Amino acid sequence: MAAVLVHIDLDGDRPHASSLQALAAGRAVASSWGATLYAAVIARDPDASTGARAPSHSGIMRLPGDARTIEAVRAALARGGADKIVVALTEAQIAPLWSAVGAAWQAVLDQLRPRLVVFGADAPSAIELGPRTAARIGARLFLRARAQGSELVELRDRDGSCVRSHDSGAAVVLVGSALPLDPHNDDDIDVMVLTLAGGSDARIELAGSVPAERVHATGIIIAVGDDVADDPEIAAAIHRLARVLGAHLVGSAAAAAIGLVGAGDVVERGAPIAPELCIAIGRPAIDVAGSASLIRVGTGGGKAVDGSLSGPIGIQLAELARVLEDR
Amino acid sequence: MTAPDRNTDGTRVVAVWLGHAPPVRSIRWLDGALKAAATFAGATAVAAGHQAWLDLAADRAARAGLASVGVPTELELDYLGWAQVMASVARKLAATTILVDEASRPERFAEVGALAELTDAAQLTHVVTLAVDDVTIHAARTAGALLQTVRIHGPAVIGLRIPGAPIDEYPTPTPSAAMRRLDLAALGLDPAVLAHRGLPPRASPLAHRTLERVADHLAVHVAPRKGS
Repeated sequence: MAAVLVHIDLDGDRPHASSLQALAAGRAVASSWGATLYAAVIARDPDASTGARAPSHSGIMRLPGDARTIEAVRAALARGGADKIVVALTEAQIAPLWSAVGAAWQAVLDQLRPRLVVFGADAPSAIELGPRTAARIGARLFLRARAQGSELVELRDRDGSCVRSHDSGAAVVLVGSALPLDPHNDDDIDVMVLTLAGGSDARIELAGSVPAERVHATGIIIAVGDDVADDPEIAAAIHRLARVLGAHLVGSAAAAAIGLVGAGDVVERGAPIAPELCIAIGRPAIDVAGSASLIRVGTGGGKAVDGSLSGPIGIQLAELARVLEDR
Repeated sequence: MTAPDRNTDGTRVVAVWLGHAPPVRSIRWLDGALKAAATFAGATAVAAGHQAWLDLAADRAARAGLASVGVPTELELDYLGWAQVMASVARKLAATTILVDEASRPERFAEVGALAELTDAAQLTHVVTLAVDDVTIHAARTAGALLQTVRIHGPAVIGLRIPGAPIDEYPTPTPSAAMRRLDLAALGLDPAVLAHRGLPPRASPLAHRTLERVADHLAVHVAPRKGS
């Protein structure tokens, strides 16, 4: 039976929300294709190379760490629809870098030889692991796709490219969104533990981390122009849209002074940003041309935008938020 | 002892991959990648694709003081196809460090991992600052809400998101005699084989102008709902 493999990032002691979206999409696909859905977690075990934990194929998780946390993760993945859970143990410190977890992830790929590998597009490891996974198995790669269809489910990206059940070859998909599924009640699922001797790639040394400035944000940015910042109707609609997209607001010091954006969200005039998606509202004074995807609201488009909305800004934004909330 | 990212003669050879097509909106990030590459002595800029793009790449590389290599081809390839082209150029140049202009086009970041896989190098994506000393490359990369500080000790593929100076208009580039042309055959690549990584031809996407179409575009970004 074909394997659909979902990479699960952890957010503290629970699966990352984007990974659970990927799991939901994987569940829809696996059910449609008659495939087995594996959810794989990479966990740190400082004693992995001693062989103290032999590979296990039982329902009992013998894993390092707090037992309640482990059970909570297992239960969340079972509710999310996983048929089987794979835990890859590595001596490396877990970090969202191929150099840290790539070897352990490779062991999972070698074990399962999946036909479809799914990541949450907004999960921390997706950027580093997704493309390299695809290259390693010679797969097609889809950036930000979602499951579509009811009986014959496919994963389709914004360009219209899709992964279907009868396609030949492997595919790697970064899932951007998925409809929530009804919780699965099958709590009796297999857990497979893979133990990997060795750890991280010493060529990449993680020396430390600090909070990133907003100008370095790579997710979704809503950039607000001073020309619209003081309109209460627009401000309310902006916040509503930011909530539905999980976006960060950025603006000028003037926008911060009236409370539309936080003090830490002020971006200097002319500063360049390169997020995955920028929604520019009015005429923000920052350079948004580095955005992977750019939507303009209230200024009628411009060079190489992906979309634009003209007309009353507050009404357009509120309606846009409502439509997205309903999806 | 020779540092791990050096060739046997002790040199660190650096190439910067500019990709197969011009930036979508601004050459600011292309210039930033070239400027970062110029901090390494003797770095070479590499581009592939159609002639107008190669001319632009050669022009911007020359302004940054870099030599350039162009691979003229009409092929439209996926992430792995272009990575195969760049990996072949890197072998030809004996490059041990490959920088990638990750920000100029949305699909480019995927080529970082693919290039690293094909060259058996370490990889680092989303790098926003880069500095180099005799033995180590120091980088900072964004990872969600964090800025990670990283030291790179060996052969690596590094995806850059470093802006250059703001630029509104730039002179139309003329064909550059300084760019070294390498065709696919010279790289040991068979276009017929490479075409297996080809993408179907597509019309340029039109900007979405209605609320429904914009909502469709944004639908893959909707945040997970609480409890889902």
